[in-house]
Amino acid sequence: MKKALIASAALAALSPLGATAADRTLTISVYAFAQDDFKTLVYDPFEAKCGCNLVVETGNSVERLAKMEANKANPVIDLAAVSMADALAASRAGLIDKVDTAKLANFTKLYDVAKDPNGDGMSVGYTFYATSIAYRSDKMKIDSWADLLKPEYVGHVAFPNVTTNQGPPALYMLGQALGKDTPDLKGPIEALGEKKDDIVTFYEKSSQLVQLMQQEEIWAAPIGRFSWAGFTKLDVPVAWATPKEGQTGGMNVLVLTKGSKNQDLALQFMDFWLSTDIQTRLAEKLVDSPANSEVKLSEAAANNLTYGEQTAKSLKLIPSAVALDNRAGWLKSWNEKVGQ
Amino acid sequence: MFQNRAEALALALPAAVFATLVFLLPVAILLSEGFRAGGGWTLSAYAGFFSETLNRTVFLRSFRLGLEVTAVSAVIGYAAAFAIVNLPPNGKGRMIGLVTLPLMISPVARTYAWIVILGRTGIVNQAITGLGLSAEPLRLLFTETAVFIGLLQLFLPLMILSLISALENMPKDAIPAARVLGANWFQVFWKVILPLTREGLVVGGTLVFTGSLTAYITPAVLGGSKVLMLETLLYQQVSVANDFVSASVIAFILIVMSFAANILLKRLATARNRR
Repeated sequence: MKKALIASAALAALSPLGATAADRTLTISVYAFAQDDFKTLVYDPFEAKCGCNLVVETGNSVERLAKMEANKANPVIDLAAVSMADALAASRAGLIDKVDTAKLANFTKLYDVAKDPNGDGMSVGYTFYATSIAYRSDKMKIDSWADLLKPEYVGHVAFPNVTTNQGPPALYMLGQALGKDTPDLKGPIEALGEKKDDIVTFYEKSSQLVQLMQQEEIWAAPIGRFSWAGFTKLDVPVAWATPKEGQTGGMNVLVLTKGSKNQDLALQFMDFWLSTDIQTRLAEKLVDSPANSEVKLSEAAANNLTYGEQTAKSLKLIPSAVALDNRAGWLKSWNEKVGQ
Repeated sequence: MFQNRAEALALALPAAVFATLVFLLPVAILLSEGFRAGGGWTLSAYAGFFSETLNRTVFLRSFRLGLEVTAVSAVIGYAAAFAIVNLPPNGKGRMIGLVTLPLMISPVARTYAWIVILGRTGIVNQAITGLGLSAEPLRLLFTETAVFIGLLQLFLPLMILSLISALENMPKDAIPAARVLGANWFQVFWKVILPLTREGLVVGGTLVFTGSLTAYITPAVLGGSKVLMLETLLYQQVSVANDFVSASVIAFILIVMSFAANILLKRLATARNRR
């Protein structure tokens, strides 16, 4: 038995296929959600195409950036999916390399907003999402982000906590509606603080909201478009608001770890993920809104995603530098006005 | 059981090395962040933390809620445990199974269930409006009361199980003897049951207090920003502000509070026993 094992190992090491698989291993770090769909639609087809091994790590952004920092001298991850702001944080910390877009055949197909989100050539957008207000159309009417604070509505509103991805964008739009549009978000945070006892909750998890809407605990909440599908299945009328100030949102990007020994393979994977075929499949499964402008979607998928050039252009995204430079200050102001 | 002390230590060594490498050492490194500034050792991060009103409010709220949950779970726990140990063997087994059952369900699911129960259309509000106690449904969710109820439900089984174990180890004739000698039920509890079950109370109290202090999902979902606690504040410092020094300070405070609770409960139990 022992001899057989040694012989098998030796054969595997000597054969070209064994050598290829062992030598070509790409490690990626991604968000934990929809991993079954990603495995079927992205990871398995890529492994079949490249003849390589794909190692997938998951975790939240903070954990992943901390891991990249800890392994800076000897990188473990080759490619990561992170938010725009985290990509800039990684760039400032010297954790990522420029993306050689000449090696990405699908780069020119991306919406302009996704080509170089932070303007430093260090990341490429693979999906984006709109953030607006989901509301009970039989109970209220939303024309402006400021309508959330109207006395007749505020007692039925859930607002995202500043610690969530939706918190700062929603505050940013509320600030625009209130005419208090400064990067420190002090105006909208103060306005919310004044109404904090009326507002039903400052939510941490968007998964709570469908249940709260179903129970009539809330009538309205700012949400990301990726959470919208759950609301459409409720037996109460829920609408997606188009406030006069517009919609905000966010973008997730792909970055390459500085000093990775597999950058060519990582670029191949990045290109594969950005291809029209893969982006279409992910969108039709409602996993991610496409950043590839050539993707054509069914009406059902398009209605549940952030889709189309006009939509992409109209989103008012918080610049990453503003988010990074103000995050700690936002939290401090929030806890002073809302948290006590 | 062992031939000598060295043999016992040798057997414990692998577990001790493992715990040191994967738990104690990383925790010590993390906690040291809070004591280091500008290359030297200092308490300035702690002074800075307690100088802010918000932090003091959150600290006191966490401490108070932890004490309240522990006290109420001790009262309910004694009643439930006493009832269970006096059941016939079959009934006792079933009841212990029922007490243990919630521990097998994710705290996330148990917390989300309270959103249904305490909501405007939930059974609590239906009972309140049905009995005419209020014309309108009360806002129970996203309040300190909701967090208290959620934490109590989460950790009460630990107190009941600890007290069941303690009551079962109590001499069977202790209570009848006290009754024969003329003690009323309050005296029986205070002078007989409490001293003889103090170890169970210390274990249960420490578990409940520590659990209440360090729970994240229940305060976050049932309280949110409106009922900020040390654990939710720690998460914010790491995930938003990327401030590992403040997070380390909070983590150290939580550990100290947990140890302090254990020592205090032991002291109280010992003092009670001496009298």
